[in-house]
Amino acid sequence: MFGTKSIIPGRIHPPLGLLLGFYFSLLLLPSAALGSDIDQAIDQLRAQVSEHSAQVFALEQQLLHPADSRLSVFLTLGSPDALGLDSVELFVDGKPVVSHLYSEREQSALEEGGVQQLFTGNLSNGSHSLKAVVTARSANDRFVRRESSYRFQKRPGSLRLQMTLDAKAPDFEPRVSFLEWK
Amino acid sequence: MMFRAFASLPLASWILILCTVPSLAASATSQVPDALKEGLVRFALATGELSPVERLSEQLKGESAEFLRAQVLMGTGRTAEGVEALKHVAEGQYHRAEAALLLGRYWAAQGSIPETRQWFEHAIRIGFGETRQEAGYRLAELELRSGRSEKAGQVLAKMEAGFWAANGYLNLSSEYARSDLNPTRALVALRVAMAMAERDSDADRKDHLLNRLRVRAGYLALQNGEPDKAIGFLEKVSLESDNTPQALYLHGLALAEKGNHRASMQSWHRAKKFPLAFSGVADAWIAMGRGFDLSGYLGQAGEAYLAANAAFESERVTLRKLATGIREQGAYKSLVEDAQASDLEWFLADSRTLTQPRMAYLLDFLAQPEAQRAVRRVAELRALGQSLAQQQRDLGIFSQSLTDQLVLLDARDDGEATELRERQMTLVRDLEKLSAKSLDAGQADVLRSVSATLAASADSLQELKGRVSARPSTIRKQLDQTRTLSNQTERLSAQTLSLAQRAEKHLDQLALDYVSEQDNEMANAIDKTAQQIAHLYEYLALENLAEAAQ
Repeated sequence: MFGTKSIIPGRIHPPLGLLLGFYFSLLLLPSAALGSDIDQAIDQLRAQVSEHSAQVFALEQQLLHPADSRLSVFLTLGSPDALGLDSVELFVDGKPVVSHLYSEREQSALEEGGVQQLFTGNLSNGSHSLKAVVTARSANDRFVRRESSYRFQKRPGSLRLQMTLDAKAPDFEPRVSFLEWK
Repeated sequence: MMFRAFASLPLASWILILCTVPSLAASATSQVPDALKEGLVRFALATGELSPVERLSEQLKGESAEFLRAQVLMGTGRTAEGVEALKHVAEGQYHRAEAALLLGRYWAAQGSIPETRQWFEHAIRIGFGETRQEAGYRLAELELRSGRSEKAGQVLAKMEAGFWAANGYLNLSSEYARSDLNPTRALVALRVAMAMAERDSDADRKDHLLNRLRVRAGYLALQNGEPDKAIGFLEKVSLESDNTPQALYLHGLALAEKGNHRASMQSWHRAKKFPLAFSGVADAWIAMGRGFDLSGYLGQAGEAYLAANAAFESERVTLRKLATGIREQGAYKSLVEDAQASDLEWFLADSRTLTQPRMAYLLDFLAQPEAQRAVRRVAELRALGQSLAQQQRDLGIFSQSLTDQLVLLDARDDGEATELRERQMTLVRDLEKLSAKSLDAGQADVLRSVSATLAASADSLQELKGRVSARPSTIRKQLDQTRTLSNQTERLSAQTLSLAQRAEKHLDQLALDYVSEQDNEMANAIDKTAQQIAHLYEYLALENLAEAAQ
């Protein structure tokens, strides 16, 4: 039913055509080959840099945030489909420590069960307060800004706080809950 | 920033930082609760910041652990280990299809057809949902590139409606358009693609794809001598897409085919507003002259051709400037960075993608897969270089701070700690006195909290002496580590720089080839208008002669 295009008889003599073809393939080869050659080198370099950065990160964690005085805050989404997170601001004892604006990529990472290490810092022992200001778009297309506070006692050793953001139907009112990991 | 804060910490804060650390990696990862480790790795994989979780991924447990670990290995450049790990996952119980899809993609990038086919087929067999659809699309694409369009059709026929199937049918239609004498089969494939695209749940993606499909369908219908059908397709193309100029040009052609020259010139006039980099715009400029010519306005036809000629000449100047910019500053700066930067006010800048020549050329250039890879390489290496430079600065500050600390620890006596111990005892006595009084529930709560804080500081003070005496040797170890890492950073920075230069050179060459190709196209367009002008003047001269003879 459907014809195919007939092959146009070659205007160039076959051996000459082959030679020309070979010549042009030689011309084309360097660009693609150079690209994949660089890709291999990038892969090797990436592996080395990654290993190295992990060591630098570990050293940084040790020196800047010693285990004894460390406070880490992790963010998770309790109901992934109910909220589109725009930004989170974190205040420790009234002082701003984190202000994060979420990209689309980060939003979907959180929605797929990702956990963000929102803050790592040092605190003295004693009673402290944490305030989170969240702006988000709820599932019923409302833009909301909510503040939540949490008081906690810092004891010697690392304190790990999980902050979970939740919004349940029908009002999709955002709620922030905190959990202390022992 | 954090590192600068570290450098300026007062001495009292350093008392808090006295701790002994047996291993760098272990200390960094042990601070994360087990239940959150998987989520942290998932977040890092999605955002591409893998260094902090590289060690963490080795400690994962559970159904997804091996799959996540394999992705981290692939993402951090340890591809050989990553491929092995993915193979293991694909033969296991969980995430089999996703692992097979990743393996298929990897082998496709390596150009190995049998392995690519094997893993995509495996992903289709065991997968479901988006994974299965993507594997189906990629397998069909592989068959098309191998010249097996029948086989590709069979693969696509088993797919569910949606984005991937629509793209598959679009590619199949292009293949039919290339091989068939009659565009019917290609049009049928496009109709199927449009029906499939309608079922895509992502609205932006759907609109973009539908615009592309309608322009192609319009072109094929026009080629098949069906201008009404073509107009039907083209009038549905959005006026705010990068396919708009081509759609407007084809729309004008379809109207001209029906003899409606006035309306066709309105479409072409609109297409002329777009930068010449977009397909169809140069044709629309030439078509305007042709439209006036066919309508019998020969003087205006001449003017239109002359205007087209001037526009093409001016575009060649723009292209020459772009080529000079690429030679002097590199393609990445000239095309990518400068296209991002804009001095325009926000209210003027919203439609700049469709009105700025540089952005239009960037979009067109980046439609080529090799250009995408080349730009990605340069961007990746630049980001790597910047992060290494930041690391180098931070490690310098670390090193300085640790050296300062050593000096301070050597010089200090136990006076401050003794004062603190005395103050602690006074506070304990005050607390005891207060606790002996009759208190209400709220006051008792406050005192309990104060008591807990005091107990914690008592413990710290008790351990302080031992920890202070162990501190210098710990600092010296950390100083050694810092210096070693700093040397490594320097070496890696040099490697990154040299590789970035190679990658940029490659990108420059691709961009210059592209600009030269565009320049040739403009030169051809100038030839066409010059020819039209010559024909027109020849005709007018002959007419004048004929009139004079009468």
